[in-house]
Amino acid sequence: MSRLTTSAVRVSRPSSAIRLKGIGRVLTPLWLPVLLLVAWWALSARSTSPFFPPLPDILVETWNQWVVFGAWTNAVSSVQNLLIGYVAGVLIGVIGGSLLWRLRLLRTATNPIIYFLYVLPAPALLPAMIAIFGIGDMRKIALIALGAIWPTLLNTLDGMRGIDAVKFDTARALRLGGWRRYFSLVLPGAAPQIAAGMRASLTVGIILVVVSEMVASNSGIGYFILQAQAEFAIKKMWTGILVLAILGTVLNYLFMFAERLVLRWYYRSRALHGA
Amino acid sequence: MSTRRGLWTAWVLPPLTVLIVLLFWEAVTRAGVVSPLQFPRMSDTLVALWHEFGSSRLWGAVGATLLGWAIGMAITVVLGVAVGTALAVNPFALRSAAPVIEIFKAIPAIAILPLVILVAGATLPMKVFLICFAAFWPFVIQVIYGVQSMDQVVLDTSRALGVRGIRRFLSVSIPSASPYLVTGMRIASAQALILAVVAEIVGGAEGIGRNILLAENSGTSAYPTMYAYILVAGLLGIVLTGAFFLMERRLMHWHESQRNIRASNRAVGA
Repeated sequence: MSRLTTSAVRVSRPSSAIRLKGIGRVLTPLWLPVLLLVAWWALSARSTSPFFPPLPDILVETWNQWVVFGAWTNAVSSVQNLLIGYVAGVLIGVIGGSLLWRLRLLRTATNPIIYFLYVLPAPALLPAMIAIFGIGDMRKIALIALGAIWPTLLNTLDGMRGIDAVKFDTARALRLGGWRRYFSLVLPGAAPQIAAGMRASLTVGIILVVVSEMVASNSGIGYFILQAQAEFAIKKMWTGILVLAILGTVLNYLFMFAERLVLRWYYRSRALHGA
Repeated sequence: MSTRRGLWTAWVLPPLTVLIVLLFWEAVTRAGVVSPLQFPRMSDTLVALWHEFGSSRLWGAVGATLLGWAIGMAITVVLGVAVGTALAVNPFALRSAAPVIEIFKAIPAIAILPLVILVAGATLPMKVFLICFAAFWPFVIQVIYGVQSMDQVVLDTSRALGVRGIRRFLSVSIPSASPYLVTGMRIASAQALILAVVAEIVGGAEGIGRNILLAENSGTSAYPTMYAYILVAGLLGIVLTGAFFLMERRLMHWHESQRNIRASNRAVGA
């Protein structure tokens, strides 16, 4: 499992962990985030530094900028581009990974190209995307898709190759072939690792949507933040950072939630085996 | 399959594909299917790359990107191992810190980029801070995994032998957790490289990313140079990621977790 590209903190330990009861169990994960928030609030309350305005001011400004003055359209534009590019990239990744799994020669042949595109830091492609697609939404979507393909593709391929050979023998005995074998054995078998790849793709996608908005763009959260920075409107910039941080966190948690839901059978069987 | 055919596919086919892709690139741009205003010819790009290889501009940029990457990685690894180990051996601390790590990991590092640029300017510290912010959280999670995955028998043995404190940390914890550490470093390295390029493109710090954007901004005649730098960025990724793959294989060959991985790793190298 050490090859999964991203992972969440695993908290529960079967043995030796101190069994916290009742209220303590609920409070332990909460006190540190709350303390940090309170510390931020208290430390920034009388701040005169131009770079770190008081937290209450930032919150008020966030309401003004994003709700009253209508900056939320920037968030909508970001999310829209991210989703289109991400879905396209992930679809290509899963389909491409499956193809490479099926066609061994193609896999060997394209290995250097795919590896090159995988390790190429995707933001480096942004100027090229601007040159090809101009400065509209298309080059943002294309960049996000191009960056999101590779983690998903390689994890799909890896997950499919990692499926136990015994399962294929069973499928043969049951006369499962072709598409039915693919959908009832190969795809579910690789699903946990495909999900890990998709999570890595999401991380890359979020970086790319913001980068693409920070260069030669006039909409999106990244544009909003950089514009505020250029105007030296620090408080306004902080609101953008806050919105982006919340958006990134929410997207990640939504993904984890969806993953738990879709892979319920996998987590349940893993819990049964005590792994 | 005979070994000869296996050798042929393994050693001839991949370079052949690279050649075909390069020739296809040349053919498409030469035939005018893609406008040279959008995509330069392969031959022009390679000439530009050759030209840049002879100039100090390229090596200065590669050096600047690598320097930021190296300092950021060093800080991430030292801090990550210290914090991760401390958290992994203390259940209360881990339960308390887990949500904070999760939240910080979910915050895209690029969100704080403009703030860091304001405070530190287009400098090396700006780049290093961004790299650390992006690479630290995923790495620390791997450290926690690694320390938690330690074999109970090994722990008991070391306790029976009276190995404790810093010695236990260096001679038991670190070696047992090392596969996770190296995997974590590979993930952190990829993140670090991405953020280094972002800091250079958006933040204007010296490095490959800035040279790509400069070439794009100086008009279509410089497009071959732009693609040459993109190729350099990819080559840098290959060198850095490849180095960690080799480390995973060479350094960790004794570790049991590697025995199965190596078998499944051969073709993709993912």
